Amino acid sequence: MNRILAAALLLAAVPSSAVFTANTQQADQVAKVSLKVGDAAPDFTLLSDQWKTVKLSDFKGKKNVFLAVYVLAFTGG
Amino acid sequence: MDSPAANAAFAKQINIKFSLLSDMNKKMLKEYGILKGYDVQSESYQWAQRANIVIDKNGIVQHIEEGDSAVNPNNALSVCTDLHKKQTAK
Repeated sequence: MNRILAAALLLAAVPSSAVFTANTQQADQVAKVSLKVGDAAPDFTLLSDQWKTVKLSDFKGKKNVFLAVYVLAFTGG
Repeated sequence: MDSPAANAAFAKQINIKFSLLSDMNKKMLKEYGILKGYDVQSESYQWAQRANIVIDKNGIVQHIEEGDSAVNPNNALSVCTDLHKKQTAK
């Protein structure tokens, strides 16, 4: 009887701990979303060097997009 | 994050023909999970990790490379070439 109850408690504990993890992730939003191959790429709007807005959705159905995120581009590093 | 003005100067300097984009509010970097926090002398800063991402015409991510190896664009380029070949063969 005790064993069965323990299993039930464990099951009950799973959803609440999942909620807890979700809450902690929400609190720290930095770098928690990691994209995987096969995912739909979230749309974005960025400013080009000509001060024009560029959206990922501008290219949908037209072009493949190669994004190179290159920090400290001006440096030799 | 480089500003559009800094990017324009850089583009002119090295004579490139593609757009340089600025994520001034770091929104895209956050959504893509490539904005990282760093502590430098007990101050916290955020800047992007180097990354190459290839997104196909349908908006599906086909390739992700993060960190130091992303300085070399060749892997991502070959993904692009393969994609293009597949799409034009149809």
